[in-house]
Amino acid sequence: MDAGVGVDALRDDLAALSARLGVREGRPADAVDGIVPCLVVSPTSTADVAAAVARAAASGSAVVARGAGTKLDWGRPPERVDLLVDLSAMDRVLEHAVGDFVVRVEAGATLDRLGTLLAAAGQRLPVEQVVPGSTVGGVVATGLSGPSRHLDGAVRDVLIGLTVVRADGVVARSGSKVVKNVAGYDLAKLFAGSYGTLGIVTEATFRLRPLARARQVVTCDLSGEGVLAVALSALRANQIAASAVEIDRVGASEPIRLAVLLEGDEEPLEARVAATVAALGHATGLAAIRSAPTVPTWWAQVPGPVTTKLSCAPADVPDLVRDLATWAARHDRPLVVRGAAADGVLFAGCPATTEPSAVGALLEVGRARCATTGGGAVLLRAPVATKAGLDTWGPVRGLDLMRRVKQSFDPGRILAPGRFVGGI
Amino acid sequence: MSAARALDAVRAALERDLAPGALVTDRAELGTYECDGLAHLATVPALVVLARDAGEVRQAVAACASQGVPFVARGAGTGLSGGAVPVADGVLVVTAKMRRILEVDVDNERCVVEPGVANLDITRACATDGYYYAPDPSSQQVCSIGGNVAENSGGAHCLKHGFTTNHVTGLDLVTPDGEIVGLGGKALDSPGYDLVGAIVGSEGTLGVVTSVTVRLSRSPEAVYTLLAGFPDTDTAGAAVTAIVGAGLVPSAIEMMDELAIVAAEAAVDCHYPDGAGAVLIVELDGPRADVEAGVAAVERCCVQAGALELRHARDDAERAQLWRGRKSAFAAVGRISPDYIVQDGVVPRTALPEVLRAIGSLSAAAGIRVANVFHAGDGNLHPLVLFDARVDGQLDGAEKLSHAILDLCLEHGGSITGEHGVGLDKRGSMGAMFTPEDLDTMQMLRCAFDPHGICNPGKVFPTPRLCGEQPGRRGAAHPLVSAGLAELY
Amino acid sequence: MAQKITSRAARAAAGGAGVGSSRRGSPAGGRPLDELVQDCVHCGFCLPSCPTYVLTGEEADSPRGRIHLVGQVLAGTPIAGSPQLHLDRCLSCMACMTACPSGVRYDEIVELARRRVEDHGVRSPGDRLRRSAIFALFPHPRRLRAARAVLVLADRSGLRRLLRRLLRHPAVARHVPATVRTLDALAPALTPVESLPALLPGAEPRRGRVGLLTGCVQSVLFSGVNVATARVLAAEGFDVVVPADQGCCGALSGHAGRHREAAEMARRTIDCFSAAQVDTVVVNAAGCGSAMKEYARLLRDDPGYAHLAAELAARTRDLSEFLVASGTRAPRGRLDVTVAYHDACHLAHAQGIRGAPRTLLAEIPGLELREIAEPDLCCGSAGVYNLLEVETARELGLRKAAHVAATGADVLVAANPGCLMQIRASAGPQALAMTYSHIAEVLDASLRAAGHEHTA
Repeated sequence: MDAGVGVDALRDDLAALSARLGVREGRPADAVDGIVPCLVVSPTSTADVAAAVARAAASGSAVVARGAGTKLDWGRPPERVDLLVDLSAMDRVLEHAVGDFVVRVEAGATLDRLGTLLAAAGQRLPVEQVVPGSTVGGVVATGLSGPSRHLDGAVRDVLIGLTVVRADGVVARSGSKVVKNVAGYDLAKLFAGSYGTLGIVTEATFRLRPLARARQVVTCDLSGEGVLAVALSALRANQIAASAVEIDRVGASEPIRLAVLLEGDEEPLEARVAATVAALGHATGLAAIRSAPTVPTWWAQVPGPVTTKLSCAPADVPDLVRDLATWAARHDRPLVVRGAAADGVLFAGCPATTEPSAVGALLEVGRARCATTGGGAVLLRAPVATKAGLDTWGPVRGLDLMRRVKQSFDPGRILAPGRFVGGI
Repeated sequence: MSAARALDAVRAALERDLAPGALVTDRAELGTYECDGLAHLATVPALVVLARDAGEVRQAVAACASQGVPFVARGAGTGLSGGAVPVADGVLVVTAKMRRILEVDVDNERCVVEPGVANLDITRACATDGYYYAPDPSSQQVCSIGGNVAENSGGAHCLKHGFTTNHVTGLDLVTPDGEIVGLGGKALDSPGYDLVGAIVGSEGTLGVVTSVTVRLSRSPEAVYTLLAGFPDTDTAGAAVTAIVGAGLVPSAIEMMDELAIVAAEAAVDCHYPDGAGAVLIVELDGPRADVEAGVAAVERCCVQAGALELRHARDDAERAQLWRGRKSAFAAVGRISPDYIVQDGVVPRTALPEVLRAIGSLSAAAGIRVANVFHAGDGNLHPLVLFDARVDGQLDGAEKLSHAILDLCLEHGGSITGEHGVGLDKRGSMGAMFTPEDLDTMQMLRCAFDPHGICNPGKVFPTPRLCGEQPGRRGAAHPLVSAGLAELY
Repeated sequence: MAQKITSRAARAAAGGAGVGSSRRGSPAGGRPLDELVQDCVHCGFCLPSCPTYVLTGEEADSPRGRIHLVGQVLAGTPIAGSPQLHLDRCLSCMACMTACPSGVRYDEIVELARRRVEDHGVRSPGDRLRRSAIFALFPHPRRLRAARAVLVLADRSGLRRLLRRLLRHPAVARHVPATVRTLDALAPALTPVESLPALLPGAEPRRGRVGLLTGCVQSVLFSGVNVATARVLAAEGFDVVVPADQGCCGALSGHAGRHREAAEMARRTIDCFSAAQVDTVVVNAAGCGSAMKEYARLLRDDPGYAHLAAELAARTRDLSEFLVASGTRAPRGRLDVTVAYHDACHLAHAQGIRGAPRTLLAEIPGLELREIAEPDLCCGSAGVYNLLEVETARELGLRKAAHVAATGADVLVAANPGCLMQIRASAGPQALAMTYSHIAEVLDASLRAAGHEHTA
C-alpha cells in the first residue's frame, strides 16, 4: 500500500470510527519481526476489531494481531504491516461455567491470569505457558502446547469454540460452549496454529480439567539415546498414565534428563510413582531415579533464542535426539533440546550468534528425520538475517490445498501476509 | 451438458477404467444404497462405485469432476443424519470393500487403515499388543473409520478419551477435483494449517478419505464399571454433579430414564434395579490404584445422592451385562413402540435436570412419550421420541416434538448435534444455531476444497455459498500481482 | 482389554444368546411379509455378522440389503434378477438374527421371500435341473441309501478313484458342473451302516422316554452318530424310541422356500412322532432341530395340523440342550484330546444354543476345549448351499478350515453333519491331521471309556 496517502486515510477512518480504538502511529517497539507497523489500534471488543479490520480491508491494508507480543517474531517476517491490532486490552474472562468445565475468554488474556482465575475454582486449562507472558490468542495462533499435551491433548484438542474476525471484517463463530458438538465445520482446528493468516481470533472457548490434587515428578538422567529409547518404551509398556513425559538436554554429550509427571489422588499416586520408578529402573538399570513434588527448573519453557520446533513420529525421538546431538557436536553449539518425548514434539534452542548456515544444517538434519512421517522442523525464531536466507517452514504436505484455503478466507491477502508456510 | 449425458459419460469412463464388478448399475441393487441408518431420508443414486482401493476412488471422483457430476461417499451406511444419502443424478462412492488394515505400528502407537475398516476392528488388530482405539460409537462393530472421520464420531467413552478428531494424525484425501493428497502422518503438529483437523467432522463435503492414520491408546491397567439405580433422573443427575465436582474423570457416565429402562428390559432382560426411575452407568479406567480410589469416591457420591442400589462388575462378563441394556437402548425402544425417532442434542451438563424436566413437559403436552438415554458426563442427550405412524397425526407430532427438543438445547446454549452430525437431517436447524455469517465462513472452507459444489452437495449447510470472488469486496489489484511477483489462484 | 475369546466363552457359559435373543412376535409367526420388512430400522448391525457381506462388502449381500430388496419386490420390482440372485446367495445362517438389536424376523422374511422365488423366479434350465436333482435326492433317506450303495460299489471297484482322476483333468473339469465336483469332495469315507433298534431301553433308574430323529444325510452317511446318540441317551436313563417310518423333517426344503414339499414332510414327521408317544423328540442335527422347532410357523395355515405342529415343536430338543437341561449322571471316562468346537449356525444362531455343548465337553475329564476364531461365521455348508452356491461356500469353507487348523486341536467337534463334511472337504490334505466327530460320538466315547456300555 502506498505508505503516505493510504495510511493517512486509514488513520482518519479509524479515528472517525471510535476514540476507543486509540489509533496511533507505530513505533519501533511495535515491530513485528523487524517490520514496524504504520498504525496501531487497541480495540476493547470484538466489534471494534471487526470495524478496524473492515476499514483495513477496504484499503487493502495488511493486518497483524498482537497479544503480549511474545511470539511476534515467530514464523517469517510479514511482507508488510499496515495495521497492528493490539488485543491486550481484551483480556476478560467472559464466561466460566464451573460445573461444565468450560471457559470463554478474550484473546488478550494471559495464560497466567487465566490460570489463576481457574485455579480458584479448582480447575485448569491443560495448556502450559511455555513462553512467559503468552496470551490466549497467541497460543491459539501459534498452536503452542506444553507438557500437558501428553495426557490432555494439544491446544487444538482443548479448543471447542472460537470467535474470529475475518479478513473482510465480518465476525464469525464456530464451535460451541459445549464440549460435545459436531455441528458444522471444526474451524477451531483450522485456526489453531494458523499464525493469524485466516482471521483474527478475538474469543476462545476451552474445555477444562480439574486441578490435580497431588503431583509427583519422577526424574532421572539418561546417559544416551539408547537408554532414552529403552526408558520411553518402558513407560509405554507400564500403563502408568503419565500426565507428561519431558526430556531436556544441553549440548552433545550431556545426559538426557527425563521427567515424568504423575498426577492424581495422593495415596494411589504413591503406588504409581513406585511403579514408574521400578519400571524405569528395571528397563535402564539405573539406580538414581528420584521423585519430587515439583517440576524441574527447565520444565515448560521453550528454549531459544534461536528456536526450532521439531515434530516426528514418537518412536523416532531417540534417533532425532541423536541427530541433534551430532549437529551440536559438529557445529560446537550448546544446543538445548527439550520437549514432549513420548509424543514426538521437541523444541531446540541455540544462541543468536549461531551462523545461518549452521541453523540451515540443523533444519536439514531435523527434516531428514521428521518430514517423512508428516512432521517437520520449523525455524520459529531467529535473527531476521538468519531467517531471510533459509527455508524456515520446510516441506509442507498439502500446500496447494492450504493456498486455496488462504485464498478463500483472505483473497486480498491482508492478514499477516508472508508469515506462514509457502509464502502464505 | 445435460445431467443425463454427463452421467452417461461418467458411466462409460468408469466401465472402461474400473475393474469388473466395481460399477453397480442394476436398478434393484442401486436401491439398496438409497439411505444410511436414517431410513426415512432416501434417494436412489444413478450409479454406485464399489471402490476396491484409493486408485478406484480417485478414478471415480476424477470422472465425476470432469463432467461436473455430483458424488457422495458412503462407508457402512450406518450414519444417523442422512450424510450418505445419494444424489439422484449422481454417483455414490462406496468404500465398504476397502477394509484392509495397512499397518499396525505399536512402537509409534499408530495404525494406518483403509476407510472401510470397522471401528472395532482397529481395536481387534492391536488388542494383543496391549492397545486399543479409543473412540467407541455404539455402532462400532459395523461403522467404518471413514464414516467416523466424516462425523467426528464420539461414543460413551469420549468423556475422558476424546473424539475421532483427537485420534487422527494423518489421512489421504481424494479432493473433489480428483487428486490424492497426503496430509499429516504419524507425527503430530504437521507444519501448515491443520487440514486434517478441518476434514474430520466435515461430513464428506471436502473430499473422500482413502486412508486414515489413527493414534492408538495404551489399554488401561484397570477398568471398573458400576451401575447405580436412582428414584429419578434428578437424583441421578445430582450424583453426576457430585462425581464431576469431586474432580473425578470417569471414562464414561451414562444415564437412562424410566422409559428407556423398560424398553431395555423388554429387549435384553438386563435386570436393572427394580423400581429405578433412572440408572447410571459409571466406568473408570486407568492405573489400578487410581481406579480403586475412584470407585470408592463414585460410590460415595451415588449413595449420598440417594442411590437405591449399586452394582459392581467384577469381570468382563459382568461388565458386558451392565452395559447390555444401555447398548441396546436405541433399538430396544422398538419393542415398546412401533416407531421412534432418535434425537441427538447437547446441553451444558449442568442444565441437564432442567432440560429433562422441560422435555417431560413437552412430551406430556404433546401426548407423545419420550425415553431418554444420554451421556450424562457431557450433556449429550439422545431422546427417543416414541410414536405409532399408523395413528393419525402422531408422526407429525413426533417430528415437531423432536424439533422442539433441539430448540430447547439451543436455548440452553448447547448444540443441535453431539455425535450424529448435521447431514441432510439437520440442515434446516443450522440457521438456528449459527448466524448467516458463521455459516458463510464455514463454507469458505468448503469453497477451497470444492469450488464446483459436487462433493456431497446439499449436506450440512441449508444454502450453498457461491464460491469464487465475492462481488464488491476486492479493492485494487494487489501490488505484488501488479509487480509480477505473485499469482492468484 | 480382554481377549475376544475369553468373553465369548463367558457368554457361552452364561448360556445366553446375543442381544437379539428375545425375538419379536410369537414363535408361530403369522405377520405378513410387508409388516416383517417394516421391522427393520436399517441400523446395519447385521452387516458384520453376515458371511456374504463379510466376503463381498456389497449392501445387497447383507441381511439389511436383502430385506430392502424384498421391500422393493413388495413394491413391484420383479423378483427375478438381482432380488432372486441375492436371496439365493443367503446362507440362512441366522447370524444376523443374533446380531439384530430390533428383533427383526429375518428367518421368516427370507423363507417367505424364497417361496416367492420358487413361484415367480426365473431359473436357467441347468439351474432348475440341478435343484430338482438335489431335492429329489437329499430329503429322501431311501434314495440316499440307494445312492450310497452306488458309491460303495464305485469305491470298491476302483471306479470312483478313476473318475476322480478324470475329474481332475483340466479338459474334463471344465465341463463338469461345480456341484458335481463339490458333491464328490464332500462325500465322506463310507463306513458300514450301523443299525438302530426300534427301542433302546434306558439305564435304571429311568428318567423318561424320548424319540430320536435319524435324519437323512446323518442316517445314511453317518449312521454311527445316531447309534452313539441313542447310546448316550440310554446311558443317561432315557428310553430311546426310533420310529422306523420317519422320513425327512423337511428342513432342506423349508429353508429353500419349497413350501409345499416342506409342509408335506413336516406333517409326516408330526404323525410319526405323535404316534411314538414320547416326552421329547431329540434331534442331533442342528438344521433339523431348528426346522422342527419352527413347525408351528410352517403349518400355521393348516387347520388340521397347526395345533399338532406347535405341540411337537414345543417338545423338540437338541441333544446337548436336552442333556444339560436334564442333568447328566452317567460317569464320564477320560479322553485326553484337544477339541475345537464349531458352532453350527442352526444350533448357535437359530436355536441360541452355545453353552450346552461346551458344558457337556467340559464334563469330560482330560478334554481340552479350544475356541475357533470367527466362531459366528458360517462354514458354508448351510444345508445344500454348498452344492448350489459353490464359489461362496468354497471361500467360506476355506476360511473356516484355516481357523480350525489354527487351533491345532486333535478333533473338530460339531453338532451337524453338513458342517463336518464341509470343513473336512475344505481342509484339503490337512484334513488328514484331524478327526471330525459329532458331539454325540465324543460323549459316547467318553461313556464307553468309563466302562459303561449299553448293548444295542
